[in-house]
Amino acid sequence: MTLAGWAREPLVHFLGLGALLYGALTWGGTPVDPASRVITVDAAQQAQLALGFERVMGRAPTDAELDARIERFVREEVLYREALRLGLDQDDAVVRQRMVAKMDMTASAAAEIAEPTEAQLQAYFEANRARYAGARSVSFEQQLFGDRAEAVAGLAGKNGSDYLSDAGQLSSLPAEMTDAPLREVAARFGQQFASGLVQVPADGQWHGPVPSGFGWHIVRITARAAQEPDFATLRPRIANDWRSAEIAAREARAYAILREAYRVEIAR
Amino acid sequence: MRMISAGLAAVSLMAIALSGCNREAALDPAQTGTGENTIKLAEFPDRPYWGDTHLHTDNSIDAFGFGVRLGPEEALRFARGEEVTATTGGKARLERPLDFLVIADHSDGLGATRRLYDAPRWYVQWVIGDETVLRWYDMMHEGPEGSQRAIAELITAAANDTLPEAFNDPESAREGTEDLWNDQLGLLDRYNEPGVFTAIAGFEWTLMPDGNNLHRVVMFRDGSDRTRKTLPLGGIDTTVEQLWDYMAAYEKNTGGKVLAIPHNSNVSNGLMFEMTMADGSPMTAAYAARRAAAEPVVEVTQIKGDSETHPFLSPNDEMAGFGVKGWELGNLPLTATSTPDMHAGSYARSALLRGLSLEARLGVNPYAFGMIGSTDSHTALATGDEDNFWGKHTGNEPAYKDRAMQPQNLGTREGRFGWHYLAGGYAAAWARGNTRAEIFDAFKRREVYATTGPRMTVRIFGGFDFTEADWNGDWVRAGYTRGVPMGGELIDKGRAPTFLISALKDPDGANLDRVQVVKGWLDASGAAQERVYDVVWSDMAKRPRTARGLTPVGDTVDRKTATYTNTIGAAELRSVWTDPDYAKGQRAFYYVRVIEIPTPRWTLFDAVRFGFALSPEAMADAVAQERAYTSPIWLGPPPQGTT
Repeated sequence: MTLAGWAREPLVHFLGLGALLYGALTWGGTPVDPASRVITVDAAQQAQLALGFERVMGRAPTDAELDARIERFVREEVLYREALRLGLDQDDAVVRQRMVAKMDMTASAAAEIAEPTEAQLQAYFEANRARYAGARSVSFEQQLFGDRAEAVAGLAGKNGSDYLSDAGQLSSLPAEMTDAPLREVAARFGQQFASGLVQVPADGQWHGPVPSGFGWHIVRITARAAQEPDFATLRPRIANDWRSAEIAAREARAYAILREAYRVEIAR
Repeated sequence: MRMISAGLAAVSLMAIALSGCNREAALDPAQTGTGENTIKLAEFPDRPYWGDTHLHTDNSIDAFGFGVRLGPEEALRFARGEEVTATTGGKARLERPLDFLVIADHSDGLGATRRLYDAPRWYVQWVIGDETVLRWYDMMHEGPEGSQRAIAELITAAANDTLPEAFNDPESAREGTEDLWNDQLGLLDRYNEPGVFTAIAGFEWTLMPDGNNLHRVVMFRDGSDRTRKTLPLGGIDTTVEQLWDYMAAYEKNTGGKVLAIPHNSNVSNGLMFEMTMADGSPMTAAYAARRAAAEPVVEVTQIKGDSETHPFLSPNDEMAGFGVKGWELGNLPLTATSTPDMHAGSYARSALLRGLSLEARLGVNPYAFGMIGSTDSHTALATGDEDNFWGKHTGNEPAYKDRAMQPQNLGTREGRFGWHYLAGGYAAAWARGNTRAEIFDAFKRREVYATTGPRMTVRIFGGFDFTEADWNGDWVRAGYTRGVPMGGELIDKGRAPTFLISALKDPDGANLDRVQVVKGWLDASGAAQERVYDVVWSDMAKRPRTARGLTPVGDTVDRKTATYTNTIGAAELRSVWTDPDYAKGQRAFYYVRVIEIPTPRWTLFDAVRFGFALSPEAMADAVAQERAYTSPIWLGPPPQGTT
């Protein structure tokens, strides 16, 4: 289900929900009017307190436990109203910060639950391709030599032949990897080798030597994924990144809309 | 005016309403569960997956107080290899991403300091109404230093069980915890990508009688479909048996799996691995079995020191004592000093020995555990490398240039300084693929190992018929089919066990000095014995054994530039090793310790980068030989009744 563009605007959510809550507050529900000296803990309120208890403890509260919760609710309500009555919220830097944070949150909360369309994700992916470059994959064979000269000699020995001889050092490193993402290559052979491997042409010929922390390798690339980053496999990550970007963008947009209504004078 | 305040109330209610609703977007079902049947698995575990099982974020009561303002999402992004801005402002990035991460925030007061900090002052003054809490609140708002002092007081109060009532109100804590927990579980699922990165749910259970550290990291195998049915268990005012009850109830009620990982036994003053039960009475087989089942792995190395062994316990081990300085002085907040009689209960090797003795008596080994490293970082940054150390907590991030020389006392006594911190360790898990189920199961079968940060690849297989010829073929298959990997158990066959041992250096790190086998056993009289065997080392011909051990590998570290060269040591060491001191019927364990050539510690990198002099004592400790410890392989008689 897709919503019209205006229905996705944070300001619309903000105003809509605000109106709804304002209505609810005006027309009844739990009164939080600080001027009132009546605190009503009606059946609905009590049921809510009991439900809260049950969700965490896995059982209904006893009468005593419910009484204790009601008592605490009343205490907080009394002190909260008194604090408001005294205007303690007025010059409190933390209240100010909390409310700023909550405004940001109302703008971004919708993004947290929003379902991006495939087209949106594709567009985001295209715009940020470079970020996902690490996911391309390669198939290769390698042989390890103790020093560069030996490796060069080993490479000469391979001349024109695709027969994998027993030359090179005995090693626990895999002699070949198939369709391995570069990060997997780096996990086994190290960063130096992985970045060296990127430079090797994928022509099925032996090349090198490519240095690593273990020594010098001659390598033959049998396949390199032509399609570099793959949208389908990266989708979860792209969706996460899209969401983060969307949250930031919505906060900025919501602020821009509100900011427009103000004229700011800064004394110089 | 009236309108405005009603409008403000509406705004805050709206925020609450929105934050309370289900925030999850639809996720790929592969991300939300255990990851079983989501990726193609290797036939045998084919590489170590690297992770940190012990990371704190701004949801931890102390981490927030120390100043960290990065949360779980930044922690996950950082672990996955992305750049984030650290709390103190620098750009932080892991050169090599991790494969898995357990966010292990303290369950006690989960989010409490953050909620306290965020609360209006009048609320703290009027509604909480506790003078101590108000004082801490003001200190936290003064700035980073005040914040750190407040938290040091808070930890000491927790250790002394004098936390103000407001922190111990179980129900309001539960309410706060539930929201954070559910948010976090959703976030973990979002970042959990089978085959690429595994995000694991967990928490730290912080039992600390009289300041003696009995902390555990609790780690879940499951996704949010199951973990939402539980909440983190608080540690204060509980016992370890209550933790095991909690874990058993979780497994029974959800069909999921969970394990606990003890850590920092080095600051437990002998209480982590006691010969008795926690209440001091003789250990029963049932108790031993519960402990072994719930706690298959111990974190033996991390920022707050290394718990493998102590020179007092292992006088003939010339490599003993890594990461012991400072931490050996006393318990966590240094409110009680350590005495030598406590050490055997505080270090892993002696605990493994105690396990053999208890097993001989009870038929069950309570301390048959595998070993891992982790960071215990409180910066939300899972850094384990010496040249990229972001500090134990935000008060010693690199922005504090003299952090190495600053006193780091949680309590009031002197004795611990910044340079006593290690850069942090990592956990390696031999798994068939990178999913929650595979990583967790590797922990459960103890096929894991610890490193002090570097990523060496270490294998050990135990059996009875391995030979040098096995190296020429598929020796990994041979290891798994004709023997057992690390964490496994061998049944005595009346002849000496033989081990296939292979260590590859960290591809981007230092060469290897030597590979050792640490054997512990019970002798004919039932007394516990230990011995360290040098099995294979670099340049063996040039480095003969002497009366004082092997000829040292050398030292290429330039103290002026904090650099070293790989002109000494070896890239790979391996050996087929047979126990020369085997005796029939012996109960024993064998684990591998791999030692790197000397390299600069983070303190030396700091001194060079920031241009200041370390004290002579700190300078003497500015170069170290980093290492890996595998989980043991045990050898013992056949279980009773199965002859």
